[in-house]
Amino acid sequence: MMGGPIASLHPLSRADGSASYKCPSTGSNVLGSVNAPVELPGRRDALKPEDATIEVFVKPGTAPSGVGERYVEGILRGALSRIVLGREKGYPRRGVVITLAILGGESIGRGGSYLPLLPALLHTSILALLSASVPLSMSLSATMLAVNPSGEIVRKPSITDARAAASLHVLAFTSKGHLLLSESEGRFNFDTWDKVYENALAVCHGTSTLSSDGDVAMTENMDTQPLEGFVRDTVEDHIRAEYAWKVDAA
Amino acid sequence: MASTAADSTAQAAPTAPPSLILPPSQFARLQPHAYLLAHLSPPASSQQPSLRANGRSPSQFRITSANTGSLTHTNGSAVVRLGDTTAVCGIKAEILHTEDIPSWSVSHSSSSLASNKRRKLTSPAENLGADREDGSEETDDDDDSYIEDFSLLVPNLSLSTGCAPGFIPGAPPSALAQSLSHQILSLLRSTRIVRSKDLQIWYQRPNLGREELEVHNEDEQMDVDVEQDRSGGATPEPREIKAFWVLYIDIMIISLAGNPFDAAWLSVLAALRDTKLPRAWWDVDNEIVVCSDLVSEARKLSLRGLPVASSFGVFEADAAAGWRAVLIPDAEEERKIADSERKGIRRRWILADPDGYEEGLSLERVCLVVDRDQGGSGEVVIVKLEKNGGFAVDRKELKQLVEISAQRWEDINQILGQC
Repeated sequence: MMGGPIASLHPLSRADGSASYKCPSTGSNVLGSVNAPVELPGRRDALKPEDATIEVFVKPGTAPSGVGERYVEGILRGALSRIVLGREKGYPRRGVVITLAILGGESIGRGGSYLPLLPALLHTSILALLSASVPLSMSLSATMLAVNPSGEIVRKPSITDARAAASLHVLAFTSKGHLLLSESEGRFNFDTWDKVYENALAVCHGTSTLSSDGDVAMTENMDTQPLEGFVRDTVEDHIRAEYAWKVDAA
Repeated sequence: MASTAADSTAQAAPTAPPSLILPPSQFARLQPHAYLLAHLSPPASSQQPSLRANGRSPSQFRITSANTGSLTHTNGSAVVRLGDTTAVCGIKAEILHTEDIPSWSVSHSSSSLASNKRRKLTSPAENLGADREDGSEETDDDDDSYIEDFSLLVPNLSLSTGCAPGFIPGAPPSALAQSLSHQILSLLRSTRIVRSKDLQIWYQRPNLGREELEVHNEDEQMDVDVEQDRSGGATPEPREIKAFWVLYIDIMIISLAGNPFDAAWLSVLAALRDTKLPRAWWDVDNEIVVCSDLVSEARKLSLRGLPVASSFGVFEADAAAGWRAVLIPDAEEERKIADSERKGIRRRWILADPDGYEEGLSLERVCLVVDRDQGGSGEVVIVKLEKNGGFAVDRKELKQLVEISAQRWEDINQILGQC
């Protein structure tokens, strides 16, 4: 029904790396910047001197940040610190600072669910990290799925779908197909989650890794490209644009 | 690197000259990863079972105890201990007048009528299963919007008690404390554990000639409805919500030795089960809400279900697992390795209820909140699932964890039943 997400790399000139990302189904629009490696004034060497510290800041568009942001920052830090290679040369004892500003989309009140924004936040941060050339072991892709009260799985749910859903699930996979993150809320049982997992893997990685289900594969072909490819294409497009002078000269 | 260190110490300790012997506590501080690994993978010759450094098996939780009604000045309170992690939760109920809610006059004229009507329709069903979740599905929807719209549940978690060396007393709330507060609030909302009907204080305009009934706890309310039905479908008297109870849920972690979320959530559960609200009604003459001071008239909250949290940490034998650039195998390949065939640095353990020492050594965390369907079938329902920070827990592992959590639900149900 709708096109895929829209992303651009390096929209900010002063930051080491930056990315903006817009998800059409939930309307969330996130601008992220990455500065790395930087000296952190408050860093204590007693804490893992051989590793880089990853700091994530999430700024909501209209309100001052509160407890919900602290929570989602913790989630992002947990997921990204597994991917960022903080022991490469120049990184230990320094910081990787990721700042994510929520420009558009539904504002989240106190105690509200952050799940609808989580895929956009994850995609923005991975693109911004790539744009800042921070060493990463893998890339990631994430998606949200809703299960409506009759038990059907809704892909690319809108905000209204998410509100009406019996349960909401955000799953993130690494580029090698590992389940990196899974956040679910609402009432569901394990079999439902298992189906959600299959669907999410198909959304993120397309048909190649999908093992059993034939018709899921069909719909995926007709649908948009898998998200993993989207991250890759965004970076490739950017590189092509940056090196246009060289390509033209050759 | 880690495994060699572990092996050499395990073998060398008895024979080495005295000057090189380290007491276990020092070894634990100097080489925490190797220390835990040596405990979990004892040499095959020693015939020892694989135990954690704290003597528990990987899927064993710490000894849990709960005590309710410890604080006399609260409406409900609980002290919960999970090993050395201790949480105290106190619930204080305060009255929020609808006049003090700015949006009330706009929203309530329609919503109160609607809820009024629905209340009537469903009241017999609620009467039947008043104490437990029953027939609640159709009655709740905008009932519960009061709790969200007016923030009738206000949890706050404090770690600034000197509970662990890193937390200085009197310091502003740390990021951990804030995110735990958020988790508790969102779990209170998503499980809809507190019913909004328990928090409403009603005023019934007296009918001419019948002034004895004003406002009311559950049972009296039913009587009014029944009476009116009997009196031949007389037009229902206008009733309105005059005030709400707001529950301030304060949690203090007074000792932190890992896994604060499970302890905090269990203390909230126990305190909510202990909470009693006094009978309250609207006094027209003085225009205030009046509470009865009779303990016999106070009533408990009727909670929906019993969601129980269980947390897990993953310990990986590979000390470099967190920062290996290329050695991570593909997920497909990974799934083919059976657990029993995992060797050397590929080994990993999922530790239930990690203590502070183990939390420092595990990057990957899983938190599961499960409940059992109260509708007789007893099916396990997952209310919240969080898995973050690693690759070890996949579908197969999660399925096992759900089973462990279901077992944990039974234990907690028993513990809470006794207090």
